[in-house]
Amino acid sequence: MAEAALAIEGLVTGYDRRDVLAGISLDLAEGALVTVVGPNGHGKTTLLRAISGLLPTRKGVIRLFGRKLAGLAPHQVAAAGVVHVPQGDLLFPQMSVHENLLMGAYLETDQAVIRRRLEEVEALLPRLAERRDQLASSLSGGERRMVGIGRGLMMGGRVMLIDEPSLGLAPIIIEQVYEVIARLKASGRTILLVEENPARVADLADAIHLLDNGRIVWSGPPHDLLERDELLETYLGG
Amino acid sequence: MEILGPVLVAGITTGALYALATIGLSLVWGALGMLNMAHGALLTIGGYAAFTLATLLGAPWPVAVLAPVAVGALIGAAIYLLVAQPLLARAPRSFETNVIIATFGVAIALENAVLLIFGGQPFGQSIALPGHLQAGGIFVPWQNVLIVAVVLVLMAATAFFLARTRAGRAIRATAQHREAAQLLGVPVGRVYLQVLALSGGIAGTCGLLVSSITQLSPTLGADPMLKAFIMCVVAGLGNLPGAIGAAFVLALIEAFASYGLGARWGFPLLLAIVILVLIWRPDGLFGRAAVRRL
Ligand SMILES: Nc1ncnc2c1ncn2[C@@H]1O[C@H](COP(=O)(O)OP(=O)(O)OP(=O)(O)O)[C@@H](O)[C@H]1O
Ligand SMILES: [Mg+2]
Repeated sequence: MAEAALAIEGLVTGYDRRDVLAGISLDLAEGALVTVVGPNGHGKTTLLRAISGLLPTRKGVIRLFGRKLAGLAPHQVAAAGVVHVPQGDLLFPQMSVHENLLMGAYLETDQAVIRRRLEEVEALLPRLAERRDQLASSLSGGERRMVGIGRGLMMGGRVMLIDEPSLGLAPIIIEQVYEVIARLKASGRTILLVEENPARVADLADAIHLLDNGRIVWSGPPHDLLERDELLETYLGG
Repeated sequence: MEILGPVLVAGITTGALYALATIGLSLVWGALGMLNMAHGALLTIGGYAAFTLATLLGAPWPVAVLAPVAVGALIGAAIYLLVAQPLLARAPRSFETNVIIATFGVAIALENAVLLIFGGQPFGQSIALPGHLQAGGIFVPWQNVLIVAVVLVLMAATAFFLARTRAGRAIRATAQHREAAQLLGVPVGRVYLQVLALSGGIAGTCGLLVSSITQLSPTLGADPMLKAFIMCVVAGLGNLPGAIGAAFVLALIEAFASYGLGARWGFPLLLAIVILVLIWRPDGLFGRAAVRRL
């Protein structure tokens, strides 16, 4: 078996004295799109924050192409090639769309590479080119989400963590966002996606993990989960 | 006009000095949420650093002029490494209050170090331009022209650095969203170190300029620091352009009040204006909405 792009084994982490994740294990093959679903407040964001080093791991190992990430600071994890598109976008509000995108390429010093990435991102997300000089704080929710994704793409990493890209958006915009994510997958990127609604990723995800109370309580193909009414009922409120 | 001329010159010169003191203070506040109470002490030390090289050691003026920059930057960096960073690492939630108290202690220590080494008696700063310029019946000492020019150049350079360079953009990004910046690969610890060093270098220069038109004393930086703090509060903490504008306006008000009402009225009037502004707009003149963390 080929080495996993991202491998998590027995991950325990949390805030203060409380463990939020109580031993999470999951593998992400290169080029795969794996989704984590689960109820609010049960540790999905915490999982992504632990991977990107914002939160120290208490137990367990996280490997990126075999390399242990434990103990690395967030900027080092970013340099190792992990792109984290955080929940709620976390844009730089007093910067223009263009400057937000440039910040995505902070670690890249070759101007030619930065220019090429900008062209790619603006081709994938044409709205960003139209809004180039607008302040991030004055964008609509959908535009912000696109900037968040575009800024992540500017990093050039091949492993992406995307946290609830549909959060707070109108259905039609959610559709657009997922079209973009489908194209990212088609381009060969490896994606760990957090989502509330498993139906949205039914045709996109290679596997889905149901996270409840800090544990993975079910894993399998998305269509299997959608047929398990009792699981949907118990964990996702039907 | 003959009488108002010197008042105007004094007001603009002090306005420039307040603005420069404000930049250093505001940068650190904007980037780290840190009110650096030792900022005034950095001004003082900057003045003494230049004095030591120029007067005591007889160094040529280009060297003496760079000494405050270097010493200010070094002490600024040391304050980050020895005081701010440990506080930030151990108790991030109470950082904003803890760091005020801690840097207040640093300020006392630095001021007393100056007192111990140089004594309390005032010295004159030898680095200053002689002579004056005469324009429309107003005498403007060349040193005042130099001060305003240096301040304008430093402000423009700082603005350019923040707006246009990769390092400057990383500082603004860290100020606006620390975690997001980290996720993009920005080493925020190093960014904070740069901000403190930059602020210290600016403070050192400011101290040299202040001492060139007043005198060197261990409390040299106290007044500009106090005024800079007032400017920051009036403009809304973290609002750099607003603070610079406030610096010039309030310095002119202070100068004219001192002239018109007597020297002892300048500062009380200034404080009265500040209190009124804060009653009228508790978040500063430009309000919370306009407050920019750089
Ligand atoms: N900074 C923090 N400090 C303390 N506790 C936190 C912090 N962030 C999250 N938590 C707690 O950790 C738990 C898991 O939160 P997390 O954000 O991972 O949930 P989530 O599954 O992403 O939820 P949502 O679907 O609402 O985004 C929650 O109980 C939350 O209150
Ligand atoms: Mg979440």
